[in-house]
Amino acid sequence: MATYAMVLDYKNCINCKACEVACKEENGVLLGANYHRIWVGVNEIQGSYPDLSIASNAFYPSQCQHCDNAPCQEVCPTNATHYDENRVVQVDASKCILCSYCMVACPYDARYVDERTMTVDKCTFCSDTRLARGLKTTACQATCPTKVRIFGDISDPKSEISEILKTREYFTLKASFGTEPKLFYLK
Amino acid sequence: MLNALLPHKEISLKSIFSFEKNTFNIVMAVVTVALIVAFLVGFGNYALHGHHAYGVSKEHPWGLLISMYIFFVVSSTGLCIISSLGHVFHIKSFEFIGKRAIFGAIITIVSGFCVIGLEIGHPIRMVIYNTISPGFTSAIWGMGALYSVYLFLIIMEFIFLSRDEHKWSKFFGLGGLLIGIAAHSNLGAVFGFLVGRPLANGVFYPVYFILSAMITGCYLLFLMYGYRYKMQFTEEMEKFLMHLGRLLGLLIAILVFFEFWRFLTAIYGRVPERSDTALHVLSSKSFWFGEVLLGMAIPFFIILYSKAKAIKATIYASIGGMVGIFFMRYNLVHDTLVYPMQTMKIKEYQLAPTWVEYAPTLTEWAIALGSMGICLALYYIGENFFFLDPNKEDEYFKHYVDEE
Repeated sequence: MATYAMVLDYKNCINCKACEVACKEENGVLLGANYHRIWVGVNEIQGSYPDLSIASNAFYPSQCQHCDNAPCQEVCPTNATHYDENRVVQVDASKCILCSYCMVACPYDARYVDERTMTVDKCTFCSDTRLARGLKTTACQATCPTKVRIFGDISDPKSEISEILKTREYFTLKASFGTEPKLFYLK
Repeated sequence: MLNALLPHKEISLKSIFSFEKNTFNIVMAVVTVALIVAFLVGFGNYALHGHHAYGVSKEHPWGLLISMYIFFVVSSTGLCIISSLGHVFHIKSFEFIGKRAIFGAIITIVSGFCVIGLEIGHPIRMVIYNTISPGFTSAIWGMGALYSVYLFLIIMEFIFLSRDEHKWSKFFGLGGLLIGIAAHSNLGAVFGFLVGRPLANGVFYPVYFILSAMITGCYLLFLMYGYRYKMQFTEEMEKFLMHLGRLLGLLIAILVFFEFWRFLTAIYGRVPERSDTALHVLSSKSFWFGEVLLGMAIPFFIILYSKAKAIKATIYASIGGMVGIFFMRYNLVHDTLVYPMQTMKIKEYQLAPTWVEYAPTLTEWAIALGSMGICLALYYIGENFFFLDPNKEDEYFKHYVDEE
């Protein structure tokens, strides 16, 4: 039993989109499903030439936040969306009726329809692929050239992710909604 | 034997096609058949292409069909609530509408189920897993379960009303009313529970759904009785329609009051996302022309200036009123989803967002408009097969029956 989470040192992101490619390859995301399972948010440069704010030009790599109080799980009428033993938010495709309520309820737009099964899919922290094969990293983490992501078990105080969260300041997205996201962005 | 269970007229194909061949009836018949054909074409396209035939997207997962489902169930609950004023709460002038209104409630919810059946990706799986793996915290689950019970109760109510067994009709009527209100406010909660959608989140929608259902019920009753009596009303009927008009005027006034404070509180303080979305809604033509002008203003002012006596004008305004109600349902879904959730091209709460766009496809329009054909056809069949007006020999309704 673990509580999987992810830290993102987002200021290191160079928007190369290798994470999106790796995710698609590892999890079999269809071509054309861009910004569906994982994406890099781009903050437009503010100001007008020549008074441009370089600091405003930031990239926000993101994906399912694996909320500890997930709205998508709460609204699912058939319990297709559930927490697995590692507190990862998962979808049981055999129970999904494609009512799309979870897609409407997710404040992060992190869900999409898998065109093959016509059920809702999302980031699983590579639970049924890499973690199932005994690996300790997610595809997006392993491929990142600037080491933006650190994935691990926050219930283990000695894990790397726990050490980082103890020593670095961080924020979560849309924290005011009380969703308790488990994606932590380092300041 | 069937007649003992549910009194009915002669059920035959001949009786279906033997209607008075005047212009209005022929136009209605052609429109109904055309709409049913449209529904079948839409259904065929959905069967071939699935959800790809719809204009819904990742950012806008609900569209016209959800709006149309809400339109029908709002109509059903509204008819149920207004009819209960008579045979549950014994308000005299409403007592005789029972059978017709409850039959209307049955066919509108059945039409709604026809639409939602084509919107849900896996309807059979839904029946199975809603039963064996219920998500009790889901408003959709609650709504589905309650509406199923509601449909059973109003069918029983209709049967007992038809049999003139008013002890049981009242029992099922009260049950249908309570479960209907629970189901319908639950449908409001489907939107009200969306913590990530500030304009929808909160108490407004569950309450508003009941209010707008009652308004829809009044509009539909005006249309049903206008059609039934070909605009030639008896004194008793005029009295009822005047009372109905007064009730409708009051309900619209309350709705305007609700909407005013809803938007003022949404905009006040310029809370990001909520106020942006509210201002966006207020800048749309469909809100002002559809919801406000057709859905509220025209019927309200006709009722106000005629003191509810301009019955024919109110009936014509009710056609526009139902169009307005359709805009309310469509905008309800679109307004909820119009603000982009993904943190892409926006740094949260700092830059103006690009609004999420959605346009229904022809398939969606065919199914949505076609479902009205199903409703019209069911109403026509009901009018031909069942006794939707009070029985002349029924003591209970004696004082409402036209002596002719």
